[in-house]
Amino acid sequence: MNLDKIDTTILDMMKKDARTSLREIARVLRVSPDTVSNRVEKLIKQGIILSSTVVLDPSKIGYSFITRFGVNVKPAYATQVLEKIIKIPSVIIASKVIGNYDLVAISVVKNFQHLCTLRDTILEMPYVENVEQGMWINTMELCPHYFLI
Amino acid sequence: MSDIKIDTLDINILRALQGDARRPFQEIAAHCKVSTDTIKNRFNGMTKKGLIRGTTIVIDPKEVGQNRIVSIGIQVTNPFAEQILTLVKKIPGMLVVTRAVGRYDIEAVAILKDIEQISTIKNTIGDFQQVKNVDVEIWVDKPLLCPKNFEFEEVRP
Repeated sequence: MNLDKIDTTILDMMKKDARTSLREIARVLRVSPDTVSNRVEKLIKQGIILSSTVVLDPSKIGYSFITRFGVNVKPAYATQVLEKIIKIPSVIIASKVIGNYDLVAISVVKNFQHLCTLRDTILEMPYVENVEQGMWINTMELCPHYFLI
Repeated sequence: MSDIKIDTLDINILRALQGDARRPFQEIAAHCKVSTDTIKNRFNGMTKKGLIRGTTIVIDPKEVGQNRIVSIGIQVTNPFAEQILTLVKKIPGMLVVTRAVGRYDIEAVAILKDIEQISTIKNTIGDFQQVKNVDVEIWVDKPLLCPKNFEFEEVRP
């Protein structure tokens, strides 16, 4: 995928503020708002922009830390389990991995009780063999653009 | 940790924006049956209180030449974790670097170009004094990002 300066400027500006008006981007680039609008549409159509979202500070609504779960599953069932894990309400991102684990999920956690519940929920899923967790200290950054650039 | 008070309207606004941060306030207003100004005020209010840190687009890293996300787990000889943390934070490509409790003392998530770069970084970290072990998990397929699922509850005084 070849991105020119117009594309990268659009991506940069929208990464910092997804609600930036196309008019404002056009002003910075000195092109017409229509050009910007066409480019944005193209970036979405080509799957470069996957979605947009609001970035929250989870510590303001009762979450006290982030935990990374490493999950081992029976071979060939990773996709199935991944789809279940991503539906857990506090899980922010999850992926298949190659390494010690088969899946990694990153979740916000309210308290120790909540952590135990999350762990049990994953453990009780069929084909899950083991769940390990690492609790992140002092980190409450939950910005999707930290995860996807 | 200081919880702020949010009500059903706040939650509905956040839910609407989690799926699509560019949704016009007019549309959310119509959906919530309140005025556009109310939505605007609530949005600004939640921003001022620090609950909303901003809005952003989610970009597919593969499309911009960054192919691999890795999570890194580091075991460190006590009490050098803080020192190693500072060093790891300086490595380019790191998205999150944090102290952790569990199997690892430090955990990180990085976004890198290719397997060679992953190997280089693993060696760089392994070379730091007081680092006992470095484990790397390479993320495969498209990671599923789900801020949409982020659960809210009304916080009452």
